[in-house]
Amino acid sequence: MKKRLLAAVLAGTMVIGMVTGCSTPGSKDSEESSEKVFRYSSTTEPTTLDSSKCNSIPDNEIQHAITESLVRNTGGDVQPGLAENWEISPDGLTYTFHLRDGIKWSDGEPITANDFVYSWQRLLDPETASVYAFIGEHIKNGALVETGELPKEELGVSAPDDQTFVVELENPTAYFLSMIGAQAQFAPLRQDIVEKYGAEFAADAEKNVYSGPYVLTDSSNRTYIFEPNENYWNRDAIKLDRVELSTVENTDTALSMYEDGDLDYVEIPSAYVSQYEGQDQTFMNGNVDYLYINCAADYVSNQNFRLALNYGINRNDYMKLAVDDVYVPYASLVFSGLKTPNATYGEDYDVSVYPLDGDMDKAKEYLNKAMEEMGIASPSDITIEFTTTDAEANKVIAEVVQDQWTKNLGINVEIRQVTYSEIYGNVYPEGDFQVGYAGWGADYDDAYSYLEIWKSDNTMYKLNYKNDEFDSLLVASKTETDEQARMDMLNKAEMILLEEGAFVPLQTRSVHYLLNDKVKDLTFFHCSINRDWVYADIETE
Amino acid sequence: MLKYVCKRILAAILTLLVLVTIVFFLVRLMPGDPFTSAKLTKEVAANMNKYYGFDKPLIQQYFTYMGNLLHGNFGFSMKYTNRTVNTIIGETFPFSADLGIRALVLAISMGIVLGLIAARNRGNKIDFFCVIIAIIGTSIPDFIMGALLQYFFGIKWGLFPVAKYQGLEYTVLPALALATYTLTSVSRIMRSSTLEVTSQDYIKTARSKGLSEGRIAIKHQIRNAIMPVMTVLGPTVASVLTGTFVIESIFVIPGMGKYYVESVTNNDYSMVLGMTVFYGIFLVTCNLIVDILYGIADPRVRIGKK
Repeated sequence: MKKRLLAAVLAGTMVIGMVTGCSTPGSKDSEESSEKVFRYSSTTEPTTLDSSKCNSIPDNEIQHAITESLVRNTGGDVQPGLAENWEISPDGLTYTFHLRDGIKWSDGEPITANDFVYSWQRLLDPETASVYAFIGEHIKNGALVETGELPKEELGVSAPDDQTFVVELENPTAYFLSMIGAQAQFAPLRQDIVEKYGAEFAADAEKNVYSGPYVLTDSSNRTYIFEPNENYWNRDAIKLDRVELSTVENTDTALSMYEDGDLDYVEIPSAYVSQYEGQDQTFMNGNVDYLYINCAADYVSNQNFRLALNYGINRNDYMKLAVDDVYVPYASLVFSGLKTPNATYGEDYDVSVYPLDGDMDKAKEYLNKAMEEMGIASPSDITIEFTTTDAEANKVIAEVVQDQWTKNLGINVEIRQVTYSEIYGNVYPEGDFQVGYAGWGADYDDAYSYLEIWKSDNTMYKLNYKNDEFDSLLVASKTETDEQARMDMLNKAEMILLEEGAFVPLQTRSVHYLLNDKVKDLTFFHCSINRDWVYADIETE
Repeated sequence: MLKYVCKRILAAILTLLVLVTIVFFLVRLMPGDPFTSAKLTKEVAANMNKYYGFDKPLIQQYFTYMGNLLHGNFGFSMKYTNRTVNTIIGETFPFSADLGIRALVLAISMGIVLGLIAARNRGNKIDFFCVIIAIIGTSIPDFIMGALLQYFFGIKWGLFPVAKYQGLEYTVLPALALATYTLTSVSRIMRSSTLEVTSQDYIKTARSKGLSEGRIAIKHQIRNAIMPVMTVLGPTVASVLTGTFVIESIFVIPGMGKYYVESVTNNDYSMVLGMTVFYGIFLVTCNLIVDILYGIADPRVRIGKK
């Protein structure tokens, strides 16, 4: 009996031990509180820590802290980075950068111009297979190196000496500095380190060296820890002692963590925005959402019909019903916050064609004209298909638009939901749709990034839109060196799209967030990166 | 016994082979491809296809994959470039398994005890109470259970951390949330099988021999009533230990569950395959162990197979 009792006690202890005891993987000791630590979360896990292969905003945001290019773009303000100064040739095609003295990698090795040559060639090398290689097409011969028609040595980059880096461009690119200061692909790379780790380069924090203001000290368990890079040339400007980025997919949990004091910054899921009214702040992330139109498809090939679709939406009502009023209704394409020589695009140009409340009389007028041209007697004979992804939020958007067009125009709208892979893998590239929901965020601070999709030689999406004047404006803008004249051209091109109803704009995205009062100098940007905490600080009592 | 075990192992290997082959070809039938994105140009897509060997004939790709698999190499993820599927599983499985073991120990021990108590008090208030708990436990989905626990114990009363997995106190809520379903289903199975056993002749014999109720319960009832519980444990252990998407997402646990679900929506072929094979090996092994245990616990199983 004693033996049995002993066995029972032992078994019980084991069970309790299993449930409560044992150290968990990833256990951490509590940290000291005098440090300046910024903790925030992201819903998307970064896909890579290899700067050449970055292909999303979360990817870029990490690189923005751990790498530095020739210049640094902080919320649109471009300042010298690893280059102290540079000269631009009169034709705007050649940039000669002079690197700072004594700049070093996090392991103490000097940063040289060759690190830039290596990195930029690697970006376009077909063997790297970078998703974002196309961003390097701005550089001379970029497109030909990308397809393997020219060897990577033919790319327009060179290093006459260790401190001089020369770039030749395909076209005078006004936004070139702004772009290389924010897109991670233009950061320098150390050839010996990349080759040492091969395909597993930058697989985790240890498998890389860093050129930026911070080093990545840990990247395990979907949590990223950043600490200041002691070798960074501008070390004194860095105030934070540590930054912790956690991947938290569940937005409710992220909010709970903020409420519980585990995070200093959190983005509010749209369903909760009204609850936090007054406490929240917003920034514009530069994303513009709209409906693509396949201009060769039934009905929508008719310009008057497309205009009827555009005037037949009350975008203010749409906003309330479809997205809880958390975004901003929008009736044009180019994001209004983009930089122009002296102001912003929105301040410089009036692009209002469709009123935000819609114009039902005009819509009917265009619809009647369209029906006459197409030989259709009644709007109820028209059925168009609205394609979107299977995300729940997109379904709501489709239903609201469906409801508006049905009520305001009397046409039939069918909703077709496909997977994300299908919509970007087949539907848009093959032109297998009539009207489809999508959005765009710019890769660089310039209107061209939004407009080029409608250029008739664009191979990415088959929109079947062709307007010779639009095409020639875009082509001419590439070589125009006068900044204001170039902007005027791009604006004219946008107006053509609006006047011909080439797409149906819906909204531009504002991001609602909560921020701990102690956090200062957090910067936001509307392309490449959203949240920039490089120069942020924590107020101490 | 040895022959029985060998036969089971052989069958397990064959199952895995069939599984890998089917999944390998099935993932290719999914619409879209791994590189789909809003900003993918044709030139880049061509480079990506070449990089991952998709420009070669499918059958050649299959044999390459099988060859790598024999060396235990699952290949590189197509979504998380620069990271191998092996690395990702290696980093995330310990978290899923740690949480799973805690939940399982809790679920099995409590489930058996609860089922036994219910059966031995059949028809009275205690039984009624146990059955109510079991029904509530099985009918509340884990994401509601997780959110409720998180809200009350984490935010409202501040007893446990809201999320993340960095120490003992972090494990309590997710383990509890994960255990609920298994716990209640084990208790229900245990209750009904105990009731079934109770009416058997050998229990009557034991009672007429004058054995104490405690001895009857341990020696005769549990041993026989536990067989159906063991049957469900094989697949349960495999699925609980390899991570659950929902609980891991709610409590921000860096486990495997997320990659399993996400790999399919991302068309991340190597990840889908790697996860499936890993899960398959795990499931087959668990079932194998259950089969062997079955053979030990019940000699009829061994004899019957001959």
